[in-house]
This record gives sequence, C-alpha cells and structure tokens, in this order.
Amino acid sequence: MKKYFILLLVMLSAGLILQGQGTDQLVNTCVMNAGPNCKYLKDFRIQLSKAPAAGELRYKTQMSLWKNTKYKFSMCTADDSKGELILTVKNDANQVVLSSFDPKTGKTYKSVDLVCNRSGIYQLNYDFKDGQQGSGVGVISMVK
Amino acid sequence: MKGRSFLILLVFAFVCFSCRNSSNNNSQFVFPEADSVPVGEAEKLSTEAIEEIAKNISSPVEIANLLQSLAVPFSPDYLASSIDANRQTTLFEKAFTLGILGADLGYLNMYEKTGSSIDILSSIRKLAEGIRVGQFFDFETIKRLSLNKSNLDSLLFLSIDSYTQIDKYLRENDRGQLSALMIIGVWIEGQYLATQVMTEYPDPVLRDRIGEQKIILNDLIMLADPYCSRDTEFGVLCKDLQDIKEKYRDIRITYTLGEPVSREVDGALVVEQTETSVVEMTDEQLAGIIDITKNIRNKLIANN
Repeated sequence: MKKYFILLLVMLSAGLILQGQGTDQLVNTCVMNAGPNCKYLKDFRIQLSKAPAAGELRYKTQMSLWKNTKYKFSMCTADDSKGELILTVKNDANQVVLSSFDPKTGKTYKSVDLVCNRSGIYQLNYDFKDGQQGSGVGVISMVK
Repeated sequence: MKGRSFLILLVFAFVCFSCRNSSNNNSQFVFPEADSVPVGEAEKLSTEAIEEIAKNISSPVEIANLLQSLAVPFSPDYLASSIDANRQTTLFEKAFTLGILGADLGYLNMYEKTGSSIDILSSIRKLAEGIRVGQFFDFETIKRLSLNKSNLDSLLFLSIDSYTQIDKYLRENDRGQLSALMIIGVWIEGQYLATQVMTEYPDPVLRDRIGEQKIILNDLIMLADPYCSRDTEFGVLCKDLQDIKEKYRDIRITYTLGEPVSREVDGALVVEQTETSVVEMTDEQLAGIIDITKNIRNKLIANN
C-alpha cells in the first residue's frame, strides 16, 4: 500500500509539472515560427469545446493596432484539436478587416499579414473551424 | 483487488491533473494579501474589463520598433537609469517603477543593446520580488539570452511574457492596483521615449503616434480610476493622468473610409487597409504633450 502511495505522489507531481506544458510548447513553437523579421507582441491561448451550433466566432478579445505598422497574425492549432484555429479581426465600427478563413474557397490561412493604416482598438475573434473542439495559440507579431 | 482499485484511482488522478489547461498554472501560489484591494473597491471595474483595457495599451516594443524604422539612433539618455531599485519603498513605487523599467528593457532589447540591460534586469528582479511576483521573472534565462545575444526573439518573448504573467497574476489575486500601476508605468515611459525623440528627430509618423495615444488614454484613466481615492500617491497619479488628458482634449482623430484589399503572396494572405486615421494636432498641442509627459515622468521617478 505504501509503495502505491509513493507512486501516487510521484505521478501527481509529474502531472502538475506536465500540466500546461503542451500549450506552452505550442506558444514557443508558434512564436519562433512567425518568421525571421517578426517581433513578438502578444499571444492568446485558446481552448474551446465543440459549439452547440454554428455561429459567431466564440473567443473574443481586443488589442490596439497602430497605423504604419505591419502585423502578422499567426494561428497554431494543437495536434489533438478537431478543427483548425481561425481568426477574424474587426475594427471599432464592427467591420471585418481580415479573416484567416475564406468561405468562398474554403481555404484556411495559418497566418495573415495586416498593413495597418488606421490606429484604433480592434476586436480579435478566434474559433476552431466549424465550431469544433480544439486548443491553439494566436500570436501577434510586428513585421520589421 | 484493493490494490487494483487504488491503481485505477491513481491513473485516473494522473490523467485528470495532466490534461488541465495551463491558464491556471499559478493558482497554487497563495500569499498573505495585506496589499490586496477591498472587494467593494475592485468591483467598480470587472476583472474582464480590466483585462481588456490592459490589452489595449500598446507595447513599448512597438514604440521602439517605430523609432528604429525611422532610423532614430539609440540613446541611453532616454532611459530612467537613475532609478535605484533599493530605494523604492512602497508597493506603489515598486509596481510603477517595474513598469518604467519594463519599457526601458523593451527599448534596449529592440535596439539589441542587450549587454547594457543587465543592470535594468537586476533592478526588475528586485522590484518584482518586492511585490512578490519574482517567480514569474526568469531572470537567469533572460540574463543569459541578453549576454550572449544569440536569440533576440526568445529574449523578447520571455521578457514580454514575464510581464504578461505578472500582470495576470496580480489581477487574479486582487492586487489589480499594482497591475494598473505597472501598465501605467510602461505607458508613461513609452510616451516619454516617443516625445523625447520627437524633440530631437521630428517626424510626421512619430508625431501621429503621439497624437493617437488619445485613443487609449481613457482606458488608462479607467484602469487607475478604482484606486484614485486609495491613497495620496494614487490620487496624485490620477490627477497627472487627467492633466495629460486635458492636453489631448482638442486633438482630433478622423477617419477616411475604405475597404481592405487582400492578396496572396507566396501562399500567404496579406491584407492592406485602405481606410486611414488622421490626427489633427497643432504644434502648440504637441509641445504641451511633450512638456507634461516629461514633467510627470521625471516627477514620478524623482525620488530615486
């Protein structure tokens, strides 16, 4: 019984250490793969269950974007996700500025560059394609 | 049989703990919260609202990047090098100075003056430990990356991420006033950097960036607002922010409309905005902003 207890302690400790390493590793990989001229600004760590019905992108956040700056939005999806991470960016007038998913062609882009000419606070909406379950990371970098 | 059941329980517990999301990684840290904000006070602005506001404040790395793109040479004169971390006694001073030095670190890193950043890193570590968030600042790794200059990307990521973790932890542990101070410190130093460069190397792009800060100024004031009556130090800071806001009052930001243009370049999507923002700011208004920024920033770090 004692050896099981020790084993339990060891496994719990290992579990706590491993906890979150998957996401952190994905963040690191996503940041480093953004490109040689990219400087990291921010990341958003997204984990969603399957949506009950198709609708708006569910993970909503915001950030300021500045004129005369080129931004790169990179989306990295964890291997065990059912759908690919997608992003839509809207301006403060709720107009879509960019989307990483083209519904006409069905194509999903892993990264999108934005040449920003209007300073303001933008809404970033993330989800997994077709409202699927998944986890992933959205990284925003500046392109020099 | 008893042993087998226990083994199943053990495996189940392992699986449960291993698969949890990392967002709560630091929830196990519990400190005695003598410096926490009473619940009623913190409730004035929800945690989510504060988090959203915090995200809107531009990174000092963006200002440094802009200065680099304008071919502005590096100058150590812009840095708050007179700051002595040992002389910061109150939590207010420690958190605010942590913000100031965070902006300076971003400036040094972007200009790859990483060897010169060791003193600032040491101060940051002392200040972070002073407000009991030292565990989020991986000093040794950042120092190593700074000294060997081998991986600027990792250095930038780790530096910014440390500040993000500190900010998040403070907010989640009812110490939002320290998070607010840190963010305001970062902004004031970034603004100081931009306005000081503007006096030496006037440029229309930099001028616009200074004027555009009006967009986030209200957010900054909202961030400080729940704590303005907390103590004298906060009261003075809130008044300073109001004074800056007053200088921005008549600056206008207008927009020209246009649809974004998308194109594929080597398989990647590139979107260019055709709508633009235009800043209308007189030379007198700009001079007023430069003056007030310098006065407030220097006053706030004067006790060093």
